Amino acid sequence: MKKLLLTLAAGLTVGAALASAAPRIITIGVVAKSQGNPVFQAARVGAQDAAKELSAKHGLDIRIDWRTPNEEDAQKQAEAIEQLVLAGAEGLAVSCSDANKLTDAINRAVDNGVPVATFDSDAPASKRFVTYGIDDHSCGVQTMAELAKAMNGKGVVAILAGNPNAPNLQKRVQGVRDEAKKYPGITIRDTYYHKETPQDSAAKVEQVMQANPDITGWAMIGGWPLFTENALNWQPGTVQCVSVDALPAQLAYIRSGHVPVLLAQQCYEWGHRSVELLIEKIVEKKNPPAVKEISALIPVTKDTVDEFAKNWAKWLPR
Amino acid sequence: MSSPLRSLLKFQESGLLLVILALGLLLTVFSGTVRTPLFERTADGGRQRVFTVNAEGERTPAFVEKNKFLNAQNLAQLAKDTSFTAIMAVGMAVVIIAGGIDLSVGSIYALASVLGAMVMRHYGPEGLNSPALGITLGVATCLGTSLLCGLFNGGLIVALRVHPFIITLGAMAILRGIAFVVTKGQSVGGFPAGLRDFVRLETGDGLSFVPLAAMVLVTIAGWIFLSRLAAGRRVYAIGGNELAARFSGIRVERVKLGIYLLSGLTAGIAALLSLGYYGAATSGDGQGYELNVIAAAVVGGASLSGGRGSALGVVLGALIIQMISSGIVILGIDQNYSQIIIGTVVIAAVVLDNFNTWLAKKRLTAKAG
Repeated sequence: MKKLLLTLAAGLTVGAALASAAPRIITIGVVAKSQGNPVFQAARVGAQDAAKELSAKHGLDIRIDWRTPNEEDAQKQAEAIEQLVLAGAEGLAVSCSDANKLTDAINRAVDNGVPVATFDSDAPASKRFVTYGIDDHSCGVQTMAELAKAMNGKGVVAILAGNPNAPNLQKRVQGVRDEAKKYPGITIRDTYYHKETPQDSAAKVEQVMQANPDITGWAMIGGWPLFTENALNWQPGTVQCVSVDALPAQLAYIRSGHVPVLLAQQCYEWGHRSVELLIEKIVEKKNPPAVKEISALIPVTKDTVDEFAKNWAKWLPR
Repeated sequence: MSSPLRSLLKFQESGLLLVILALGLLLTVFSGTVRTPLFERTADGGRQRVFTVNAEGERTPAFVEKNKFLNAQNLAQLAKDTSFTAIMAVGMAVVIIAGGIDLSVGSIYALASVLGAMVMRHYGPEGLNSPALGITLGVATCLGTSLLCGLFNGGLIVALRVHPFIITLGAMAILRGIAFVVTKGQSVGGFPAGLRDFVRLETGDGLSFVPLAAMVLVTIAGWIFLSRLAAGRRVYAIGGNELAARFSGIRVERVKLGIYLLSGLTAGIAALLSLGYYGAATSGDGQGYELNVIAAAVVGGASLSGGRGSALGVVLGALIIQMISSGIVILGIDQNYSQIIIGTVVIAAVVLDNFNTWLAKKRLTAKAG
């Protein structure tokens, strides 16, 4: 009996020691805009990689809890934020489908001691401590500038703009329009919205080209149609197209000559950098130097496409 | 068998209640605990973190360990998340019991939201700054729009004698299109604070109970309508056999018009709550909600062939779906599996329901024989 008690006590001591040696678990909730969009899947991989790297660096067990609606739905995002806070997440990274609708949910999370970082699409009136992503207006400006260069400053341009409710896309459209004013030879035909799926957007391009055969340039502020293989039904060079994002499927259009420049958002970094910033805040109690951390757009051309393509081996979901 | 137990087993929704209890038990046991910050009320009614002072005199925030599922905050959150779908599901139940379907509830939700929001913004702090008038007109616009949409659906179904699936499918696109045109795709916010303050009214522990109270009231109203009023019995009669109902003197067209009005109204009530809770509206709101609402009704025992279902049943159906959805977060299950799990539950519910009906028929036949 004494032996048994001693063994039990020894077991309990070892168990307690092991338990106390177990690394602290930190759960970071990540709420992106939609599951089906590949850029957010790259962000997910980025967040998971950052969790692994920072776990090793700080001796922690950092876990990513990915809660993203299947389709864009700000109400579902707000619910996910509230659920993650209740489930014990210590930090949140959010890409906002509707800043107005998410501001309260973000503020409540922060009031409950959970720091929030936004990425890709911000909620500027909220209490988030940092936002990471491109400057959307500049993105529109850069897209139009590259397109104007490819069109030699003259022609008819259509803007492809995705979800009309997304504030970041609206800023990009404004950027395109503002930049276009600098080119007297260029006219903007219209802005075309669509459901953010590759098929819907490719169909929209086709419809618009049928109805407006005089269009000679496309400013795509998101790369949705180029995720399909045959979205641009014209001979390379006859209609110019500059698009934001440079996902693997889009790179084929650079190689075929349909698209002279893709402007790559650092979507892997959306997840990676957001988790880094959150861990700095939670573990090191460090705030970033500025609330806005701007990530640059990387131009991908025929000369750089093969080098850029290598990144995707790391960024794609494994 | 004792009498309370017998009455419980006879209770129409007892199966659903048992499923909810079983789910709750499973989630309580397997969810583990969560460390949440401790808060206290300040003199002015606000909330502030509680701090403890350690031996070195350092202030550290105080935390409390809770079961991840079985805690007041999580249950209030669950009730709130359920309420939007459940309220719409009560209206949908009435439509489904009458043998109809309403695919436009998500679009009614969006249009009622954005129009109500635009009126409230007009009278909000950045507009005419007349909060009481703004909220009154905003609420009236939101509910009025939803009733008009219901009238549009019901009117066309009755007048054109076209299957409700077709009419409400068309209405789904038209109403969302109007919502987009009037907002130009912009999010509409900036309301008077009164509506938000009311819908987010909290108890001492920070629990929002207004969405829950609205859900309970709508459920009770639906239950009274369907089971205690002659108008409700007519709905069952039409769903069971429309021709027989017509021959028995029921004014089928009038009842049909009424049920689509009710369905529109419940979408409007849910939209109003959402406006108050989230403080903004866009034309993209409520996309796909019609399927969630129909799923809740089906899981809650409403028969898509009409004649069967109850208000309480569909609310419990909505709660089951929300419990599964929240449970996936609480248990940390990979989100990619959530749709598979919810879809499986919907199919299982229908299969069980069919089995139950078959069993009941068999018993009746045996008794008659």
